[in-house]
Amino acid sequence: MVNPVLLIAVPLGLAFALPLFGLISKRIVKYIPVVAFIFNFALALRLIPDVLKQAIVVEIGGFPPPFGINLVAGPVGVLFSALIALAGLLVAVYALAYITEGPKEKYHMLYLLLLAGATGVVLTGDIFNLFVFFEILCISSYALVAYIGDRAGIESAIKYLIQGAVGSSFLLIGIGLLYGLFGTLNMADLAQQIESASSISVFVPMVLIITGLGVEAAIFPLNAWLPDAHSSAPSSISAILSGIAIEVGLYAVVRVLFTIFGATNMFMFFAFLGVLTLLIGEMCAFAQNNIKRMLAYSSIGQMGLIVFAMAIATSYALTGGLFQLVSHTLGKGLLFLTAGYMIYRSGSMEISAFEGMGKRMPLTSLAFTIGAFSLVGLPPFVGFPSKFLIVRAALAKEEILFTVLIGLVLLGTVIEGAYFFRVVQVLYFKKANGNSERKDAPVAGLIPMVVFVAFILVMGIYPQLVIEVLNSAASELLHRMEYIRSVLG
Amino acid sequence: MSLELLLIVAFGGALLSYLFGKICPQIRDPFAVISSVALAVMMAFLYGKTMESPFYFGFLGLPLILRTNMLAWFFAMAISILGALSVIFSWDYVKDRERTDFYYLMLLLANASMLGIVFAGDFVSFFVFWEIMSWSTFLLISYNRGRALGAGMKYIIMSIVGSVSMLIGMLSLYAIYGTLHIATLSKLVPSASSGYLLFLFILFGIAFAIKNALMPLHTWLPDAYAESPTSFNGVLSGMLTRMGMYGFLLIIYVIVGAARALNLGPGIFKFNYILAWLGAITIVVSTFIALLQNDAKQLLGWSAIGQGGYMILGIAFGTSLGLAGGIFHTLNHAVYIVLLFMSVGAVQYRTGGQRDLDSLGGLIKRMPVSFIGALLGISGLIGIPLTNGFVSKWLIYKTLILEGHPFLAFAALIGTWGCILYCYKFVHHIFLGQLPEKYKMVARAPFSMQLPMIILSLVILLFGILPGIPLKVINTIGTSFGFQSLNVTTWGIASETGTLNTINIFAAVVAACVIVWLIFKAGPKAVPVAQEDTYAAGAAIPKDRYHYTVDFYNPLYRMISPYFKDFIGGFCIKLAGWTQNVCHGIRQMYTGYIGHYVMYIVLFLALLIFVQLKWSLW
Amino acid sequence: MRIVEVILAPILALLIGMFFLGLARKIMARIHWRYGPPITQPVIDVIRLFSQKSVSHGNMFTLGVLFSLACSLVLILFLPMGKICPLSSSGGMLVILYVMLLAPFGIALSGGEAANPNASIGISRKLTLALGYEVPLLVILLAVMTHYKTLSIVNIVSMQQNTSWALTSLPLFLSGIAYILILPAILGIRPFEITQAAQEISSGPMVEYGGSFLALATIQHGLNLFIGIALFVNLFLGGAGNPPIFFLKMLVVFVLGLFINAALPRLRIEQAMRYLWRWPTLIAFIGMIIVLIIRR
Repeated sequence: MVNPVLLIAVPLGLAFALPLFGLISKRIVKYIPVVAFIFNFALALRLIPDVLKQAIVVEIGGFPPPFGINLVAGPVGVLFSALIALAGLLVAVYALAYITEGPKEKYHMLYLLLLAGATGVVLTGDIFNLFVFFEILCISSYALVAYIGDRAGIESAIKYLIQGAVGSSFLLIGIGLLYGLFGTLNMADLAQQIESASSISVFVPMVLIITGLGVEAAIFPLNAWLPDAHSSAPSSISAILSGIAIEVGLYAVVRVLFTIFGATNMFMFFAFLGVLTLLIGEMCAFAQNNIKRMLAYSSIGQMGLIVFAMAIATSYALTGGLFQLVSHTLGKGLLFLTAGYMIYRSGSMEISAFEGMGKRMPLTSLAFTIGAFSLVGLPPFVGFPSKFLIVRAALAKEEILFTVLIGLVLLGTVIEGAYFFRVVQVLYFKKANGNSERKDAPVAGLIPMVVFVAFILVMGIYPQLVIEVLNSAASELLHRMEYIRSVLG
Repeated sequence: MSLELLLIVAFGGALLSYLFGKICPQIRDPFAVISSVALAVMMAFLYGKTMESPFYFGFLGLPLILRTNMLAWFFAMAISILGALSVIFSWDYVKDRERTDFYYLMLLLANASMLGIVFAGDFVSFFVFWEIMSWSTFLLISYNRGRALGAGMKYIIMSIVGSVSMLIGMLSLYAIYGTLHIATLSKLVPSASSGYLLFLFILFGIAFAIKNALMPLHTWLPDAYAESPTSFNGVLSGMLTRMGMYGFLLIIYVIVGAARALNLGPGIFKFNYILAWLGAITIVVSTFIALLQNDAKQLLGWSAIGQGGYMILGIAFGTSLGLAGGIFHTLNHAVYIVLLFMSVGAVQYRTGGQRDLDSLGGLIKRMPVSFIGALLGISGLIGIPLTNGFVSKWLIYKTLILEGHPFLAFAALIGTWGCILYCYKFVHHIFLGQLPEKYKMVARAPFSMQLPMIILSLVILLFGILPGIPLKVINTIGTSFGFQSLNVTTWGIASETGTLNTINIFAAVVAACVIVWLIFKAGPKAVPVAQEDTYAAGAAIPKDRYHYTVDFYNPLYRMISPYFKDFIGGFCIKLAGWTQNVCHGIRQMYTGYIGHYVMYIVLFLALLIFVQLKWSLW
Repeated sequence: MRIVEVILAPILALLIGMFFLGLARKIMARIHWRYGPPITQPVIDVIRLFSQKSVSHGNMFTLGVLFSLACSLVLILFLPMGKICPLSSSGGMLVILYVMLLAPFGIALSGGEAANPNASIGISRKLTLALGYEVPLLVILLAVMTHYKTLSIVNIVSMQQNTSWALTSLPLFLSGIAYILILPAILGIRPFEITQAAQEISSGPMVEYGGSFLALATIQHGLNLFIGIALFVNLFLGGAGNPPIFFLKMLVVFVLGLFINAALPRLRIEQAMRYLWRWPTLIAFIGMIIVLIIRR
């Protein structure tokens, strides 16, 4: 049996060892994240068959829960770790050629830390531990947003930092209140005891925790940092922030709501909140002429969709929501990576600067188009089955309210289609003004794009590939008693 | 021959054409032609077969199924033949353009996906092919750049609205019945409650009405037709738009069934009445708007909207006669509108893309085959006896009159009489009258354009004189929907309330023409003269235009132009503007001041607490 | 018998049409206090024109005229003249409606190739006017077809023979009135002589015709008169049991029409459209609503 701890330990360890490697050779530094995530991805894949049978609970330091800190590698955790490792690996490969300036060593170190933190969040079974990993994730992302070092980057990093800090404070207060109430920080133990407490005393820590985590999860109206941060970070980091960081934030919200608090009564509220987030995100994206801000707002929209799916809280809906998470990581990751090189070549983030890119960078443009089609939910790309499941779940509720809400959600899809297709038209059907020399992204940039495209196509055509994992992940979230039983024994 | 094989040929042909274009461009065009003709031939062998088989199991536990029956075959045959002709027509038309590989890929892909739609045996594959059709069409509509971008955006946004609506409809079927298999659904759905059936009809109806450009959901069509490459118009106007008709037939007569679908709803607001009235409004409004157009392709686009209304009128009342009329009109319209677009395409090809009616003229002397194509095309469009359009329109009128809907029949008839005006304008402005000086040296259309035009012209006459050939197939479709069989003969339809006999008309017209011809021949031979000789009485006239085209129906224009405008199209443009403004407004929420942002966080917390105190959710 | 009818009907129609043309000129002349030409003048003109030289502008120019005349001849076969109706069972009213449209269409195509602006103007007026009177005409015909629940004109005639004339029966009275109001427009006589206004646009579509073309066009014009009136007689005056009575009815209608119209000046096209789309259409619609109410 392989130990899931390695999923966190290897990137974390390598992150701290990275300066040492830097002393040996400056050139090998950038390959270290690649190695780390190849290992993580292989490990996560290796773990999947095992966790589908039985969640692996690792007791750190040998103390059984609820006394010691533990890791819970259930289907959800391993699914997320695999996703993080995959995106991390591809973006690390992309960064080989993309990150050419600035303090590269620090970039790679922070990158490893960010993803180690993300992996920690999804695997931990202890709420304070979750906070710690969350902070690792957040702090490294603050730093990475400012990586380019220009005025916009630093400004948005500061804004991100302030909002993140406010969120973290709320989170910490919430956790403190919980600890005061129940005297335990183990999530399973908390979940078990929560029913015994009076509702209002549990409510206060709950809203604090949700608000705190919601900042990172980009739930409206806590997401004001996101467009700035995502658009001024280097594109590789934007891909990770959009594809991984906010999804991990969302994971934390979902885990807290479903597993710890079992707050089924709140779901209706969150369904509305999700639809609101979706519509506002899509509408803001529609009004954008800056490609990265457009993609960032689109991420807000996608988060709204996922929140809505989760709030339906049936097994179909959770499967669909998790699938949408996967397809968003793939699609948005791909879009940011392709946009990165298109910005690099055209020297501007304005969409109008991409005129004629279809001729100048045919493969990159094709990849962008596929990513866009997938996010809109067109078959045969991965966005289609995921949206299919969510719509189906909403309609299976057979309530008029949900039918109306899904109508609004799909209205968001229409807006989404409008702005993505506009970009596709600019890429292919406008004449390049000025420079029209054909020069595609470098190989190290193209490889991750191609792999993303392959995943988008394969999962779109053959969703059965992941559906089993998603199903058991959904049932892990839905059945909190089983989670408690599997952790506490 | 299995259906999988057909679809593999169709999609494979598309991809291989692209690859050949990249590897050795010389064989791309022949390959595209051969593969699409081969597809049409293979399709012909499928005649009369009924089969069904799943072809893929990997999609979320739903088997994807292909099936064929007479309805599917009928549409598939039309799609593949018109597709093949369009590919042949494209040979010269796109030769000198850029990105021709892309053009062929998308053209063949759109064709292949339409075949997928008609052969789909379950709604997932139906939807998947539907979407592939939508985005491939979007890319082709945008192909011409410039104004085409706006047309493409309109098309794809309306398409997404339609797909979204269909998605909700089909997934609610899935949620309730747990299957998306069409044959199974057609057994289960008819027993559903009336409210649910209406819900289904509205959702699917929106999707299909958008594709079929039924008013008020037609706004994408005129621009899309006008701006897409004319060689693609054949596919777009012929069958792609009519996938909406296929959809209507599928949802009304296959899934829900005539017994439940008709007379569904309260009082006079019955579903099929509303549908029929929308069809009638579509006919009248679009006919008069077409009359006001000065762009050949816009004119044909508006005309196509109106003809869609006839099809809807035909199928709305669920009589075997009307159904036959509606389905037959779908086919007939495809034949002549493709022919008309090809004729315009040939003219555009030779005159450097000119499609402004006021700038052309007199081309009958330079491009006779294109003129004959255009003449037979408009004859079919008007429905002149002995052309195909007459038979289907006759069936539709007859249904409406006998079912006691004279107002609907009036709308249909007046549509036809308005259609004469714009059809004449179309032919007169392009082909008749004076030949402009700059087009004096224009050559005939190349053979690759003449061949499809000749074939389609013959088809128009064939179906007009011997309408029994397609009507027998259509009759089989009707009986498969559970209607009683029509008394179809090779040259018409016999019934007690008025018989149609095309062979009599044909004989009479031929005899009369021969007699008149003989009388005419008996007189002195006419001397051919040029325009100057008679109009200017031999005096030299300036080499300017003596061709009366601009504001051709001026008094009529003045009367109708205040009332017949594309108000809905204008509204949609406004709506888009408002949406943009609202979006910009909402974006202002992200002010850029960190103080505001932190306030949002605190407010959210406050909101949560407020919600709890007020409603005690938890 | 059938073959005799097929041959006889067009010839009869031709003769009557030419007779009407001559009669019209004679009566008009008398109203104007002139002596007027002999009643056979149109026939003499046609024969003379056939012997004259003519010019052509192309194949469509020639074929259009021929096609137009041929279609008028065919149309005669669909209209019952008393008991004579050779093609009664080939599509009924709808075919008649459509074939009626072919003759002007042929002239229009022919005139279009003439490349003479006057011809084009005339055609544009002709088609506009056609749209103008078709609106009430279609409503009227639909009312008749809805009332008798058949598309066959032979059935419509026989039903009237069994009961009473449509013009005198309650449901179709208004429709009949509307038909009378638009009849001059259908026949193209004053005040709706806009298409061939000789003084303004040199006879419009006819401007380039000479010799045998003009002869054929004149014959076609005569047939057109015959068709317009025959349709009215069949639909509203109960047709007739035998041809002589039928022709008598036609004559009465024609002469009455002439008297009324000789007194009126020519309208401009927009005045004509405004007239046609106002009163006749309104009356026709009311007629149709009455038919629908009675049918319920």
